[in-house]
Amino acid sequence: MEFSFIFSQFLSGLTYGMILFLVASGLSLIFGVMNILNFAHATLWLIGAYFCYSFWYLMQGYNFALWVSIPLAGFACAAVGWVTEIVLIKHIYKRELHEQLLITYALALIFADLIKIVWGPTDRLIARPPAIQKPVFIFGAPFDSYFIFVILAGFAVALGLWWFLKYTRYGHIVKAAVFSREMVGALGIPIPKIYTWVFTLGIFIAGFAGGVQAPIGSVNFGMDIAIIIQAFCVVVIGGFGSLLGTLVGAIIVGEVFSFAILYWPAGAMVLIFVITAAILIIRPWGLFGTPMRT
Amino acid sequence: MPAALFVLALILPFIVREFWVHVLNEILILGLFALSFNMIFGYMGQLSFGHAAYYGVGAYTTGLLMVKANWPLFVTLPISMVTAGICALILGYFCVRLRGIYFAILTMAFGQLVFYIIFQWYSFTGGDNGLQGINPPAWLFKTNPYYFFTLVVVTIGAIILWFISESPFGYTMRTIRDNTERTEFIGINVQRYMLINFVIAGMFAGLAGAIWGPFNRSVAPDLCSWQHSGGPVFMAILGGPHYFLGPMLGSVIYTLLNAFVTGYTEYWPLVSGTVIIIVVLLLPGGVLGVYKEKFGHLKSKESTTLEHGGS
Amino acid sequence: MKSKALKIVFVFVALVFLVGLAGSGKVMSAEPYNLGVALGFTGAGTLYSKDQLEGIHVAVDEINAKGGFLGKYPIKVFQRDTQTKPDVGVREVKDLILRDKVRAVINAYSSAVAVAVKPICREYKTLHIPALSNSENITKINYSPYTFQVAPNTYMQAKAAVLAIAKMAKDKGWKEYVTLASDYEWGRSTQEEVVKELKKVAPQLKLKKEFWPRLGETQFTSFITSIMAMKPDFVYPCLASKDNVSFIEQAKPYGFFEKVTFAGGMVSVTELIIEAKTIPRGLVAITRAPFFAHLDVPMMVNFVKNYRAKYKKYPSDWAVMGYDAVYSLKQGIEKAKTIDTDKVKDAMKGLTVDLTRGKLRFRPIDNQLSCSSYVGVVGDDPKYPFPILKDVIEVKGAESERPEAEIVAARKAEQK
Repeated sequence: MEFSFIFSQFLSGLTYGMILFLVASGLSLIFGVMNILNFAHATLWLIGAYFCYSFWYLMQGYNFALWVSIPLAGFACAAVGWVTEIVLIKHIYKRELHEQLLITYALALIFADLIKIVWGPTDRLIARPPAIQKPVFIFGAPFDSYFIFVILAGFAVALGLWWFLKYTRYGHIVKAAVFSREMVGALGIPIPKIYTWVFTLGIFIAGFAGGVQAPIGSVNFGMDIAIIIQAFCVVVIGGFGSLLGTLVGAIIVGEVFSFAILYWPAGAMVLIFVITAAILIIRPWGLFGTPMRT
Repeated sequence: MPAALFVLALILPFIVREFWVHVLNEILILGLFALSFNMIFGYMGQLSFGHAAYYGVGAYTTGLLMVKANWPLFVTLPISMVTAGICALILGYFCVRLRGIYFAILTMAFGQLVFYIIFQWYSFTGGDNGLQGINPPAWLFKTNPYYFFTLVVVTIGAIILWFISESPFGYTMRTIRDNTERTEFIGINVQRYMLINFVIAGMFAGLAGAIWGPFNRSVAPDLCSWQHSGGPVFMAILGGPHYFLGPMLGSVIYTLLNAFVTGYTEYWPLVSGTVIIIVVLLLPGGVLGVYKEKFGHLKSKESTTLEHGGS
Repeated sequence: MKSKALKIVFVFVALVFLVGLAGSGKVMSAEPYNLGVALGFTGAGTLYSKDQLEGIHVAVDEINAKGGFLGKYPIKVFQRDTQTKPDVGVREVKDLILRDKVRAVINAYSSAVAVAVKPICREYKTLHIPALSNSENITKINYSPYTFQVAPNTYMQAKAAVLAIAKMAKDKGWKEYVTLASDYEWGRSTQEEVVKELKKVAPQLKLKKEFWPRLGETQFTSFITSIMAMKPDFVYPCLASKDNVSFIEQAKPYGFFEKVTFAGGMVSVTELIIEAKTIPRGLVAITRAPFFAHLDVPMMVNFVKNYRAKYKKYPSDWAVMGYDAVYSLKQGIEKAKTIDTDKVKDAMKGLTVDLTRGKLRFRPIDNQLSCSSYVGVVGDDPKYPFPILKDVIEVKGAESERPEAEIVAARKAEQK
């Protein structure tokens, strides 16, 4: 098999990994800080994709339509996330695990139907701006030029989050809260507000990720169900609450998927679940996570 | 009280229309599924989000044996319990080493694993087509006879589960739920007990699945999906996980609601999602839990309130 | 304590009882004909299912304007979402039959759902009219006298595609090909037939590799790059509706269609309309019921007119077949002179019906309508705001049906 082919498969896997990373990073962040496993995360991602479509549709005549719509989708979703947190999520932080899981699961159901009501079940297609209509050639093998953007966007978000957590005051607070929320609360920092903003940030990333996904293929109903489980696997493999872990986990899943499709297409998902299960058994807190604090 | 309910269940088919007998049949099967789930949740304090895997294994065992090998239903039922139990044994071996959210996620991952295996193994299981033509024997073919058959099987299953939950083994489960560490300290091999309980729960989920196949005349890989696993979780919480029949009551309410709502609107997920949120937020301890608060007393053998579920 | 609990239970039962009663006692001035529509309104088949429901509504409106079936039974449509899942489909259809008392069900997407529903309709003596899913297994084996297929089945479509491909292979000197099929009932059965028939008709062609993306696949990149790396003479695609759209969209930026010939895949009018701006022209495609191929039939012209008036767009294949399904039923009822299901099914057996696609007959051995398959080249047409298939070759039912002897043999094999 030619090197250029393998390399383009690698890049495809990397692209898919980046999308997974964008979806999973918010999930990991929310879980790391607030201990909530957000079942509705992928559905919000899908809402972001639909928002992106709608914004693009309104601005169709302009070449910049798509590029503006993607961050707009992020903000629109963040608004949805913010409202959700204040109305509902806020009240379940102290609840039992099963209650939290059921509530976010119920949210996923509700949001999915809302998508059906607002946008209808038909597929939505975004026509690409000329800049990304033709492939680029890497070592002679064609590669979707938009995917370059996806990879860059993924890294940009990763870097942004890393810088945020390491160098800004809010970032430090968030990191500390992952470690011990009692201490943060004891230091007089309003935990509820932190939670609201972290949740909103997580959903912003999810919405942005949805926007990034939108021009790939079509936006259709049911995409969220496919990706939520994979996002869970990413977070498990990488480790809850760890940014680096999520990135690494996402790339692993993306690449396993990409190459398994070639040799064992039926087993691609099976393989990912086996890896996930193995991590949970051998090292439950993931490759880069820290053992669960009490 | 349960005796009164049983009598009620016996006479209902003669009062209501055929469609609702179908619904009752479904209530019973899903109720048994939820009861088996509650062995892990209400009595042992762990949240399994992949219980549908064993339900599906049971359903497929019966389906495959009946369709491909023409074995009679009565023989396939116990075999389905065995295969589901073996599956629970293998997967549970790993799950019981974890607690809390890790337990939940691992059970979910395993559930998906089983789903994908059945889904992809087209040559054996029929993959996404599922299996068709799972026909019960002629004397059970019609709605009412099959309903009574379900009633008998589910009742026997429930009685067995009841005896298990009230046995010393059952009480050991409660102590594991209430304080895992202390239970270890008094010399009980917690993991082994959890595994046994997990297997029992799996076997009865398999039994429920086994009755489902002929009822629906077909099975599909979806029966193992994590969405299907969510059903018994909600039913147990809705009815009250600390009362033995709570999950059955949850099945009654949820399944009736489903049958009712889907007749009027296609937006069942919206409705069910809203109902779930309302129930979880406003009805702590489920319907029976609220009942107990309002009316003070139920039978003395209810289990005590959940503290921090063994994490 | 016991009495309180019992009271609650009895209230419950009373409610169930009342609901049960309430549902049954609807007094209507004219007895309606309850028609069930169980399609995949969510899941992979959403696009097609919605279109088909629209076609059905146009037919129902037309017939009800004249009083309904036989002029006195207005049609009432009950729709359910099978979610493209066989077990949900079975449940919903049982619902339709038991609660809504439908006499006929138009179903389904996907083929797996239709296959699961077939025995249920047989058990409850309800007519079952597939007008979308077309896996041959719906009619070939496990014959049900209640099931009537109005879409060209996978064998017929495969045969038509094969005839077209064989001709092109000869003209262009093709040698190697790959298949790209969605891994589900329809994809599998179609691909199987095509490969088999191609071997017979164009033995010089070699199948290099089979690709099997799963149904609902969203990321086709690996497939796209793999196929392009193999440089086959052509690709035979067999992807489900949404996936077809997704694949074409995803493959274009790779310059896929300039390098690889996509031949024989299904491009229905739905895709032509949705992807009007983006679909590559020159694709050789097959479809099931394009309206523009039958504008010589007055019934089709009338249908297109009424459909456009109601929905402001052109009807896709699925709408056409939904319309035809209702009219097949109508003519069956008219021949039987009653709405009694058993008499209607007997009347429909072997019946020749006047449809938008012409005068077609239900073949008695499998209740398959002898409808045509249509192969053409994607190209623009000034009459329409979207490209259509040009140079359409209509492969008639009689040319593409599976020989009866083979069906008998297949059924015998199934019995063992």
